[in-house]
Amino acid sequence: MLLDEFLDPKILIVSGKGGVGKTTVSAALALVAARHGRKVCIAEVDQKGTLPRLFGGGALGYDPAEIAPGVWGMNIVPEQALAEYLDVQYHMKRVSKVFTNTHFVDYITTAAPGLKDILVLGKIWFLEQGRGGGAQDFDTIVVDAPAAGHMLTFLSAPMGLSDALRVGPVRRQSDWLVEMLRDAKRSRVHLVTLPEEMPVSETLETSEALTHKIGLNPGAVFANAVYQQLLTQDEQETLDAVMGDANPRELKIAAAEVGLRLDKEDLNALVRYAHFLEARRSIQAKHLRALRKGLEDPVVELPFLFSAGLALPDIETLADVMEEKVAEL
Amino acid sequence: MNIIRDIIHTKEIIVCAGSGGVGKTTTAAAIALQAALEGKKTAVLTIDPAKRLAASLGLKELSDEPSKVNSRKFTAAGLEPEGELHAMMLDTKSTFDRVVTRYAPTPEQAERIINNRFYRNISGTLSGTQEYMAMEKLYELHADGGYDLIVIDTPPTRNALDFLDAPKRMTDFFESRVLRWFLLPYMKGAGGFMKVANVAATTFLRVVKKIVGAEVLEDTAEFFGNLEGMYEGFKQRARDVAALLKSDATSFVVVTSPALDSVAEATFFATRLNESGLPFGALVVNRVHPHFGDDIGVKPRQISKLDKGDADARLLAKLLDNHEAFMRVVRLEERNLEALARKVPRHRWARVPYLEQEAVDFSGLVAISDELFAG
Repeated sequence: MLLDEFLDPKILIVSGKGGVGKTTVSAALALVAARHGRKVCIAEVDQKGTLPRLFGGGALGYDPAEIAPGVWGMNIVPEQALAEYLDVQYHMKRVSKVFTNTHFVDYITTAAPGLKDILVLGKIWFLEQGRGGGAQDFDTIVVDAPAAGHMLTFLSAPMGLSDALRVGPVRRQSDWLVEMLRDAKRSRVHLVTLPEEMPVSETLETSEALTHKIGLNPGAVFANAVYQQLLTQDEQETLDAVMGDANPRELKIAAAEVGLRLDKEDLNALVRYAHFLEARRSIQAKHLRALRKGLEDPVVELPFLFSAGLALPDIETLADVMEEKVAEL
Repeated sequence: MNIIRDIIHTKEIIVCAGSGGVGKTTTAAAIALQAALEGKKTAVLTIDPAKRLAASLGLKELSDEPSKVNSRKFTAAGLEPEGELHAMMLDTKSTFDRVVTRYAPTPEQAERIINNRFYRNISGTLSGTQEYMAMEKLYELHADGGYDLIVIDTPPTRNALDFLDAPKRMTDFFESRVLRWFLLPYMKGAGGFMKVANVAATTFLRVVKKIVGAEVLEDTAEFFGNLEGMYEGFKQRARDVAALLKSDATSFVVVTSPALDSVAEATFFATRLNESGLPFGALVVNRVHPHFGDDIGVKPRQISKLDKGDADARLLAKLLDNHEAFMRVVRLEERNLEALARKVPRHRWARVPYLEQEAVDFSGLVAISDELFAG
């Protein structure tokens, strides 16, 4: 698949269960788009913090700020989106201040669930249309969407509202959102998962519901943190053969030739880590098979990165892999 | 003595808390399992619709009522429980219904609230409801006195701290003056006050009405009207729950992974528990990469030389690379955990490494439990 085609819809929504690396994948996707000459905005939805930490900056506000060359970041807060909406639509700036600090949005959104989501999606529409002015005229908007459980309600909110209202400006506006979400040229939903039991089964359910119940445009499913194969089959056999030996001579000799002295403990550790990797890989392989089997969308595997807590260089690495893998689709 | 073992033998309630994706539910189940083995009549209450947990315990599904795990599950794993293990799942809606029924002055009023549309939306969408009801259910279970130990898992909030504030957020929500002020025109018998409601409020209401519809506002007003007189009951219960959580009977177990984000969250959470006077019991560090051997101190030059050698040399190069990669993770994880150790001393930790099997069945759960209670 051509990368340009992959990056074509202006809105790339990224979602997945909590803890699967949704924000990391969103960030990598944003970097890929920026590398291909796009002005990118990555939008968190009512969250605090993971995204700016990846880019090594401070908290993000409602107004987009440049966090890496060509990449802007922002945090869409429903309360602020409502204030902006009332201001733009009804010139009610003063009144809107009254409730931004109270429970007001809580009440209204409890009374009419989905309204919060509409507000957030409305802001995304506003950005998509380039209504925010020149500085906010983005080519790509990556939405780091709410965790999967909530995501389905998040994305189906406009459909619900359009069903409920027959006429009026709000009905018209919610129709605009439905059109935006249903048009494959304008938006696409990418899912992120881990090669583990719970995330995989949840992803299968989400993907099914997205495509068949809500009628949105599925993109790829990113399987994150996949351990890469270390040994060829021959090498595995050699290793298995020497495993029985507590002090494998062959490896010791090879080491000695480059001036490396390996004691028994070292050799043992080498073998155990190789074994550990293999064991985890076979667990992952089982779940990846289940994922591919149950899915119509393409699966893009992203490698496990040997670090704890990712930073920008790691995101760059993931972006490299993403470019490569998407081209192979 | 192992810190978690100490807790299961001295406490009646264990609350497992932590950010999403760190293995809270599994940890809660593994703790409950061991407690059952060691003679406690134990109940594990999960918040998630944890199908896998149900399956691994040999239950078809988890329901609002506790189901006993068949002792054959234990015998098949070569274990002999001296106590019992029961598992259940929180049903937010039915717990909330019971709360309403308890505090409503008349059954009719309870019914009016339960049938109200605003009320029906609350259980699903209002932030804090699930947390509040989890605490409510915990309180009921404890008050019934049917169990020696109750292990509860907390909701998968993005922010582990949310549930600490939940009861207060809920009661604040019900009592907000701002809301009632805005809803005045919709409240029955409030005609006299209409004059007080100022222009801003009416203009605002007009817009809100346009957005959400008049019905929604009427439902909301009716709900709050019916709730009048019940606040004291809610608040009293919230105080009772808070007192139970702060008492000697309870212990909080904070679950984390060694990843930077969840360590930061766990550190913050442990501090917050202390500040709030809630009894912190132990820290479970989950999903730690295993530590095999020490640094070998191989140089890149040696690796590239090996890469050019025969099959054995190339195999060795790969093994060395792999070892170094894992050691790098181990070092980074250790650095993250070092920061945590400054807040929570290591003798209050239990570490659970990544295992070469998953906790997808009973024996997997037993393996986790063995790690938790090692030492």
